[in-house]
Amino acid sequence: MSVLELRELEVEYTRPGRPPVRAVAGASLAVEAGQVVGLVGETGCGKSTLARAAVGLLKPTAGSVWFEGRQVRPIGRRARSRRDARLQMVFQNPFSSLNPRRRVGDQIADPMAILGVVPATGRRERVSELLEQVGLPAAAARRFPHQYSGGQRQRIAIARALAAEPSVIVLDEPLSSLDASAQAQVANLLQSLARELHVGLLLISHDLAIVRHIADVVAVMYLGLVVETAPTRRLWEAPLHPYTEALIEAIPRADGKGWLPEALPGDVPDPARPPAGCRFHPRCPYVFDRCRTEPPPLIPVASGRHAACWLHEPSGVERAPSSFARRTRPSSDAGDQFDGV
Amino acid sequence: MTALLSVRGLRVRLPTASGLVTVVDGIDYDVEMGEVVGIAGESGSGKTISVLALLDLLPAGAVVEGSAQFEGHDILRLGRRAMRDIRGQMIGMVFQDPMTSLHPMLTIGRQLTEHMRFHLGISAGAARSRAVELLDDVRIPDAVGALGAYPHQFSGGMRQRIAIAIALACGPRILIADEPTTALDVTVQAGILRLLDGLRRQSRLSVVMITHDLGVMSSIADWLNVMYAGRIVESGPTPSILGAPRHPYTAGLLAALPHPEAPDDTTLVSIKGAPPSPQARPSGCPFHPRCTYALPACATNVPDLVFIADERRLACPVDPLLVPA
Repeated sequence: MSVLELRELEVEYTRPGRPPVRAVAGASLAVEAGQVVGLVGETGCGKSTLARAAVGLLKPTAGSVWFEGRQVRPIGRRARSRRDARLQMVFQNPFSSLNPRRRVGDQIADPMAILGVVPATGRRERVSELLEQVGLPAAAARRFPHQYSGGQRQRIAIARALAAEPSVIVLDEPLSSLDASAQAQVANLLQSLARELHVGLLLISHDLAIVRHIADVVAVMYLGLVVETAPTRRLWEAPLHPYTEALIEAIPRADGKGWLPEALPGDVPDPARPPAGCRFHPRCPYVFDRCRTEPPPLIPVASGRHAACWLHEPSGVERAPSSFARRTRPSSDAGDQFDGV
Repeated sequence: MTALLSVRGLRVRLPTASGLVTVVDGIDYDVEMGEVVGIAGESGSGKTISVLALLDLLPAGAVVEGSAQFEGHDILRLGRRAMRDIRGQMIGMVFQDPMTSLHPMLTIGRQLTEHMRFHLGISAGAARSRAVELLDDVRIPDAVGALGAYPHQFSGGMRQRIAIAIALACGPRILIADEPTTALDVTVQAGILRLLDGLRRQSRLSVVMITHDLGVMSSIADWLNVMYAGRIVESGPTPSILGAPRHPYTAGLLAALPHPEAPDDTTLVSIKGAPPSPQARPSGCPFHPRCTYALPACATNVPDLVFIADERRLACPVDPLLVPA
């Protein structure tokens, strides 16, 4: 059984006098020990809501979250038990997630004191150990967050999460506020945490390229639903869902070849009024009649691979969406002479 | 042929609590008609300040040296009135975050027509029909309806298209775009890049593109200037630089990027350390503390940006192609 499991999770935001927004509309996901699961999708697809519900910061409207065999309860006024605290979270912006007025070491020692995982006498040593684990000198404990760059602060936030001795860490866009070189450093750190400490990571990101580098498994989310899950390399080589295909084609490549990335026409629809049938159908280049009326379930297409798309048969052959139909996508703008280069 | 915009020896010093700090330290580049010129660099490299200086948009007390020739004038020496005509009319600017660059309480129509009437002296009716054309050009659906709408009614990508339409309203020769796609999703970013590419092809618009994203540069910029700690460290045609970087910093940035065709389980090669803040830039070559190829002389000598081949300039005495790490 998986360490962290989301079963048909639904989270609804209610607004007075307006229709409720189902930000997460029945998403299922599992994280194994030592595994890096990447969750990707555009702004507004519900990935941050899913992350918050996964750690109990939001109450699911339906469905459930299971962690180490027990159901995760929404966080209340009381401190979390030591067992529940083995599920940790790291937030996007290390400038706001660390307390600017307290020393780095004190903040990393907090979880040890609150959970009682390390006796008071051993805390200083454990803080040094954690700082070194995330690639910072032990002397950093005596300094303040403002003395560090964004990438270093994100390492401090990760060290603080590790202090609770977690088995799973949920990270919400941990790399997106960082410069390229800092991004690479933190990405490599995350990968080694999973390998060496056997911590499961649920990595939420809009950046498919970086997720490809560190995730073992990728889940693609669109408008509140997981539309495809697959081992990273296979997802990249042969995306099964048209949305995944569009996401991959939109990534610019820094190879100097002047290739203009492919735009996906339209915007993510209003989650309060999702389209009927498949939620992606108004933007899908391969749409046919069935897509407009029947929502496709997430079905196993090949071993380890799931897709929610009517193009695919259950346990069928892995075929790229583009092989099913002639490309009908209208060219989005000028500059098409560069296509296909 | 002289360039449309020619920047020479641009230096910017900004006032801080501890006195003037040099943020941009002598940069040169040219922008020709219909070209996209990229300025790449990490945060704190001075790339944004270098273009704000061109438009006289720096905070009070900033000291600007050097020259920027545009249409027969040095725009760094123009008076406030003359500068106001250049800004908005001859040189348009698009900022990173369309949430904050558009006025939340004014309709799109008002924001699009106000400066057209001011700069071009046209009637309200003429400005309105031009506004509809502009919104069509940037592919806003239902342009007439959009004129009466407010920014919050549009998505981030649509808002950035509107910001581009506003910048283009008075028919500028140059568009300065500061991280125009950084706040957007890749699928939306691709649409904006295609829009900018179309504009420079169809209307010979020149674009100065500022971004830290070398993938974006690769898809749209003809020329690339890589900035580090206030200086241009490498410059030349984009395909040539990205295909064969010669400065250790450029090479390092490229190695840090996840590459779509990279084999499995390759770790990203990151540049050690972090970029220096303008207050604490190292002596000599500012990159030397992070450079794997640094020679003893790098700690004291500031390398000049010199031509190393046709159209390529490099500020590094060490060539990473020649020296093993």
